[in-house]
Amino acid sequence: MYLLAPTVLRIAAEELPAQVRARFGSELRRSGAFAQLYMLGAQAYLDAAKGDGPLAVLWSSRLGALHAVRAALDESLQHGEPAMPFTFIGMQPHLAGVLLAQRAHPVTRSAHLHLADDGWSLLLSVAQGWLAECERVLVGWVEESDSVGVAHCSDWCLLRKKPPAGAIHLEPELHEDAAVAATAEDWIARIAAWRTGSRAPLLLRGGDEAWRFTREE
Amino acid sequence: MTQAFVRATALASALGPDLDAAVERLSGAPLAPARNTAAGGAWPYFAIPVAGGGWMKRAEAIARAVAESLRREAALAPSEWAGLPCMIGSSSNSVGAWDRGGWAALVPPLEFCRMLAKGFGVGGPAMMVNTACTSGLSALDIAVSLVAAGRFREVLVLGVELSNRLTVAGFAGLELLSATAARPCDRGRDGLVLGEALAAVLVSATPGPWRIAALASGLDAASLTGPAPSGEVIADTMRAALAKARWTGAAVDLIKLQAGGGRLGDLAEARAIRELFAAPPRALSLKGALGHTLGASGPAELALLLASLARGRVPATWGFATPDDELGLTPSGGDGKEVSRVLFNLSGFGGNVMSLALEKTA
Repeated sequence: MYLLAPTVLRIAAEELPAQVRARFGSELRRSGAFAQLYMLGAQAYLDAAKGDGPLAVLWSSRLGALHAVRAALDESLQHGEPAMPFTFIGMQPHLAGVLLAQRAHPVTRSAHLHLADDGWSLLLSVAQGWLAECERVLVGWVEESDSVGVAHCSDWCLLRKKPPAGAIHLEPELHEDAAVAATAEDWIARIAAWRTGSRAPLLLRGGDEAWRFTREE
Repeated sequence: MTQAFVRATALASALGPDLDAAVERLSGAPLAPARNTAAGGAWPYFAIPVAGGGWMKRAEAIARAVAESLRREAALAPSEWAGLPCMIGSSSNSVGAWDRGGWAALVPPLEFCRMLAKGFGVGGPAMMVNTACTSGLSALDIAVSLVAAGRFREVLVLGVELSNRLTVAGFAGLELLSATAARPCDRGRDGLVLGEALAAVLVSATPGPWRIAALASGLDAASLTGPAPSGEVIADTMRAALAKARWTGAAVDLIKLQAGGGRLGDLAEARAIRELFAAPPRALSLKGALGHTLGASGPAELALLLASLARGRVPATWGFATPDDELGLTPSGGDGKEVSRVLFNLSGFGGNVMSLALEKTA
């Protein structure tokens, strides 16, 4: 399995609407900040990575669209009224896959997961299985900022079966003791940082599973 | 790649907190969903008949009952059970805790996920999947991938959708609810009736009574809330499941329909079936018995269907009386001893479409 250019996106909360308008020409109607953050990161990544063929999207977060859920509760139930349709839909992360598919990306499956900090390594195992049926799996970590002064995150990488130029080879690492513990929040950022520096393999551990990342010559 | 099997199932639903009792009940007179519950308001709603203190305490009690039942059937060694990984599918998580407990009761999804895993007494990696109505089947998809990759021998899959006012308010806002009853495939259907369920499926590399022959996914970009009326993506997804399972259409004995109750969604599924099958196989829907249990519907309907088939019966489609000529589908229950290949459809918001192919092993 091969990994392409890991991309790390940090956006100040107040800059998100302007960045979405700049990238998509307008605000993404009927989608909340969480889905917009997903779209901004995923679309930027796909613009850079190019490629075609069936695409699966596997993305994770700690809190998910929790802010949209709070807004829906605030706006609707406090007053005992039906929820506004797109307020309700916006609290679900499921629409992210379809938003990408509506922009001509051949998405065949998409799943959003809430993971424990050390659960990120399971994403790679799942992606490995999905690659039996599709060309590419876009894997991401998206987190809306929960506090003032903390940036939103939208980090992505692409996994493929075949090695494109400049790809990173990855495989399960049996000697997990030698691996550095990474979290769901920083594993893509760690790969991105390593890719611009050392040529020695990178060993990362999540839970009881470790992975070895090696730059292809 | 390692093959995956369904080793054990358990379910708490409107039919009761016990799967065997639910199957018994399903062979009797149809259950009318309650009205005026805290969650459903004026809408009919299929509630699990379990009372409890707070929302979270009730959820824990339901989880413990389902866990006990699954544990008995799975017959794993205690150490194997304790180490099980747990994949949970839910579209609403614990948002119902807010109804009476307010903001203080609302916990992050992962905390709810850990609470459920603890209730089941399992300590392996746990994660929560949200793909709206297909959440539970997406969790199963992930479990199958992990078993196939050799990462785990067994994976616990839960589908969890418990009563909450927000979901009812949302579906009411979308004008998708029936004010009367769930009538899958019936000419007089006028929307869906929501329900709650907590279902468990143990996916295993050890051969069990049903083999997961294929699980195919599709994404219909036509709209955020439903499939394209042509049913094209549903047909493609079923076709992919058949191809992956290496079945011809004629090999399918039974289709478990999505049959959500919406006119357009049902029509899309019916068109897809007619496109794929010269003579549509026998079909059924379980939403007249369970309600639409959203993110739990995959594991919940799977558990109920397989338990019924284990007793040699295809459940009747409650709420169906008069065929709709536009659909051309006539669900039928009865003897199911000869059923050995099942196509299990599910679709939902966000264009998610899934089709699961199940094959009896003995």
